[in-house]
Amino acid sequence: MDRRSALGLLTATMAVASAPDELLSLGRSLHQRIVNGRRRVLNAQQDASLLVLTDLILPATDTPGAKAAGVNAFIDLLLAEWLDTEDRDRFLKGLGDVDTRARAAFGKDFLQGTPEQQAALLVAFDDEAARWKASPEATRGPEPFYRTLKWVTLFGYFTSEVGATQEEHYAIIPGRYVPCAPADTLAPSE
Amino acid sequence: MPKTYDAIVVGSGMTGGWAAKELTEAGLETLVLEAGRPITTADYVEHVPPWQMRFRGLDDRKKRLADQPIQRECYACDEYSSKFFVNDHDNPYTTEPDKPFLWLRGRQVGGRSIMWGRQVYRWSDLDFEANLRDGIAIDWPIRYADIAPWYDHVERFIGISGEKLGLPQLPDGQFLKPMALNCGEAVVRDALAKHWPGERVLTIGRCAILTEDHNGRAACHYCGYCERGCVTLSYFNSINATLPVARQTGKLTLRPFSVVHSLIYDKKRKRVSGVRVIDGETKHAIEFRARVIFLCASTLESARILLNSATPDFPSGLANSSGELGHNLMDHIMGGGANGKISAPADKKPVGRRPNGIYVPRFRNLAGGPKSTFLRGYGYQGGAGRDGWGRGTDLPGFGADWKKALRDPGDWGFGFYGFGECLPNHNNHVEIDKTKNDAWGIPVLKIHCTYGDNEWALMKDASIAAAEMLAAAGAREITPFVDQNPPGKAIHEMGTARMGRDPKTSVLNAHNQAHDIPNLFVTDGACMVSTACQNPSITYMALTARACDYAVGAMKRREI
Repeated sequence: MDRRSALGLLTATMAVASAPDELLSLGRSLHQRIVNGRRRVLNAQQDASLLVLTDLILPATDTPGAKAAGVNAFIDLLLAEWLDTEDRDRFLKGLGDVDTRARAAFGKDFLQGTPEQQAALLVAFDDEAARWKASPEATRGPEPFYRTLKWVTLFGYFTSEVGATQEEHYAIIPGRYVPCAPADTLAPSE
Repeated sequence: MPKTYDAIVVGSGMTGGWAAKELTEAGLETLVLEAGRPITTADYVEHVPPWQMRFRGLDDRKKRLADQPIQRECYACDEYSSKFFVNDHDNPYTTEPDKPFLWLRGRQVGGRSIMWGRQVYRWSDLDFEANLRDGIAIDWPIRYADIAPWYDHVERFIGISGEKLGLPQLPDGQFLKPMALNCGEAVVRDALAKHWPGERVLTIGRCAILTEDHNGRAACHYCGYCERGCVTLSYFNSINATLPVARQTGKLTLRPFSVVHSLIYDKKRKRVSGVRVIDGETKHAIEFRARVIFLCASTLESARILLNSATPDFPSGLANSSGELGHNLMDHIMGGGANGKISAPADKKPVGRRPNGIYVPRFRNLAGGPKSTFLRGYGYQGGAGRDGWGRGTDLPGFGADWKKALRDPGDWGFGFYGFGECLPNHNNHVEIDKTKNDAWGIPVLKIHCTYGDNEWALMKDASIAAAEMLAAAGAREITPFVDQNPPGKAIHEMGTARMGRDPKTSVLNAHNQAHDIPNLFVTDGACMVSTACQNPSITYMALTARACDYAVGAMKRREI
């Protein structure tokens, strides 16, 4: 994926609805941001939610997962320094909506759900993203929050040292070009 | 009394490096003036992995938008290599609002040779005779036979990898062994050979990247990011190859941070006598003298220097008795093509990052062939590859099984991307914008340039023909496209001080020597009379070496 399409994905507009209770939750998140010193934009709850979400998408298997790769910290950097304010707020709104959906599905915030409940919600998000992609909406945007999250999780993971070296077997100096190598060669597909 | 050099070369990039090498090797005391900073191989970043970059290669988007809103339009101006592109605020230019032009520039020792695309294709008489045949603009004052030995000379030194094809429209050169096509590209090559035998040919790109050790430089190790530099000197740029040779002669003085304001004209002798420079750091004015001056500053910068050097004898720009200086600006039109998914061996994938793609030489309007509704032609670059983890966004699922599925390579994809010839047009021109100066107080260019109907017709045809070729190769999900790229985007800007036989209609003669001023030579892209559709750098380099040889002879004969 090249840089231009990455930019397109991350700045793709997402629908925003404003309502008084969201303003209240904004106030709450501002407060928590002050409390949480580890991240520059994400408050403790948002950070913890992203840690779980990204690690559900790319869990540790025989190689480390998104958590070990620090994908949540990379997302915080993009929110702090890369995205425009409007797109950053849309991303955070989408993250907040995960809790809204969690409460509707199992009566608790996402983080308080069981791993099964959390995974079930992601299955729903994944289905919705696939339906969106197949619909005429996909050519117009806005893309679902989950699709943005899935892409940035992939990007953050595969450009991290653990993701690139242990999962993808990325070599800085391949040394040669093998035009027709066996497909299971431990090296990225170029 | 300041020192008088034998020669001053303005610019240290693709052509400046060649002028430095050829002139110093001929024994001339040569001063190379470079507007930008010195760089060395320590500036190279091709082996820095993404996780050591702050944004992992996504770029420092806000900084780039603030400092390099134009330069960032070049694919190579990224988180790693943006330091090789100019700051747009220090280096402004103007256009009319409805006529955008992208001036993508590098100011450092090595110029744009640091991050060039490295594709190398000879021109043929199909190209050198094109204007004469079509009755457009003026005829080239040279033919293939004039430049062929100089192509040989340049290619032998820099090292070009490629495959000999024996095609009249794309002459073979002095090639090192070619890079390999991958098995997806081989599928498309075979389909073309079957459906258009002898007519449409797919070959590996001919490129200035070594496949064998050559002249003290090492073969490519396939790290894949030449535009970030190359510590093994495997691709050609001037700091890897030409400037070190010039330095070895003991005749080279290289002065970075030397922004050329204008040339000094000696009215009595009807010669240029030197160069006015603004020091890039102190902004102090300083002058340098020489017997002969080579402008190798890039097409638009050389035109700007000559336009800013107007005198009472040359009120519309130095060496501009023809009135053609600044006119006939061209840039390849690019971006007509098609993508698709191809059926290639599922059990194979390419491994290693080959910094090169495929090439399909021009097949329209060849000598003796059918005539199209448009003039001239186009060639394609492109290639095949298999999807990697990036496809995960739209691969349904998540979690352990999904992560495992991403280990297998995805679909084989293939893309054709067309580069078409741009016709010379007197109305496409540059002038000095007297209302604006750059950071060194030098008046900037106003650029007027648009593509015409013929250019767009070429790209439309390129998209249709690409889709047709993909269909012939059994591709699916074929997507033809015509990118709406503004001129300048191909970074193959040419013209503004064209060569020609007649001083009334051209700025330079057949040896890149100004008709009006015999000790002034312009050997960068400004000299071009037409664009062909092939990448132009090798032709600039060959013309530079040829002009140096002529200038040295003329100096020996005391003509200049």
